[in-house]
Amino acid sequence: MTRILRTAVFALALLLPATAFAAQTQYQLQVDGLACPFCAYGIEKELTRTEGLESIDIDINAGTILVTMADGATMSEAQADRIVKDAGFTLRAFTELPAQN
Amino acid sequence: MRKFFLSAAIGLAAITAANKPVLAHGPLFSPAPETIFKGGTEVTLGLHTEEATGAGDRDTEYELAVEAEYGITADWEVGIELPYTRKEDSNSDANGIGDITLSTKYQFWSLDLPGSQYKAAALLNVNLPTGDDGSAPRLGSGSTDVIAGIATGYESRRWYWFASGVYRANTEGAGNLEKGDRQFLNLVGGIRPVLTDYKEPDTVLMLELNWENAGRDDLGGAAVANTGGWELFLSPVVWWTYRQVAVRGGVQIPVASGLNGNQPSTDYRTRIEFIYHL
Repeated sequence: MTRILRTAVFALALLLPATAFAAQTQYQLQVDGLACPFCAYGIEKELTRTEGLESIDIDINAGTILVTMADGATMSEAQADRIVKDAGFTLRAFTELPAQN
Repeated sequence: MRKFFLSAAIGLAAITAANKPVLAHGPLFSPAPETIFKGGTEVTLGLHTEEATGAGDRDTEYELAVEAEYGITADWEVGIELPYTRKEDSNSDANGIGDITLSTKYQFWSLDLPGSQYKAAALLNVNLPTGDDGSAPRLGSGSTDVIAGIATGYESRRWYWFASGVYRANTEGAGNLEKGDRQFLNLVGGIRPVLTDYKEPDTVLMLELNWENAGRDDLGGAAVANTGGWELFLSPVVWWTYRQVAVRGGVQIPVASGLNGNQPSTDYRTRIEFIYHL
């Protein structure tokens, strides 16, 4: 019985998608010029056009944007700089955060 | 004499049209240096009113306008405004399409700092003679007029200020009438009383000081006596926004004037606008 249970658990583990264990990549963007929520909507609009984007969280008081990418997707600093610039702001810092499981 | 009073009243309305902001964010009765983000579209629906009395006349104007701006780049935008106007004086009234305005603005300088921005922009508008200039009162200027200006400002999480200067060059319209050129100078201060998070409603209060000066109208080569002069307004404004939606409203209250001769002077102007970013 124990052997059967052990085999069943092992089989289930093999069947689970490998990506279930992959890490989502997160970036923190420090943006200068973020004074007004109405204006900051432009960044949200520009970022949501990014392929592979999972979610964004804008902290306008801290001037930071937390970008979460879908599994396997990444963002480059040059890409972030262009997006922020097109929205009318300046990228001060771009940091890749430790992997989130 | 009647024509001169009407001309002055229309001129005052034209002042409103010349000094209104090209883009939504910033002051309500004067230009701002802000431009919309690249690829963005801003649509504004506005209701403007104006009343002027004096010299035995009472002139009222209502304007419902749809305006759209598009961001070609983050620094350069173009726009168009389509007004529907109703005007009333003591003896007559008229309503219809007013003068369509084409606009462009280029932000030639900006400095982004943590939580704040400094900006400066040049603006250029062309007022097309699409309104009926044969109605009574006249709905249109009957002339193609050019408006140019500079706007600068500072915006932070708590404080705002803006300053601008605008010049309107009027050309000759129907009936050999050329309205006097106009100049506008504006100073604005503002405050955000409560600092909210991004996905929360946001309120900003502003106070504008708007100065307008008009040269005398010219009719067939002769200066029209009871036209031209200056007015100074104090204008409280309220902004309310939630993400990509904004509502703003305000009133211009005349506090001083130096108008030429005997002509109606502005009692008040109001403006309320609904703005949406696509």
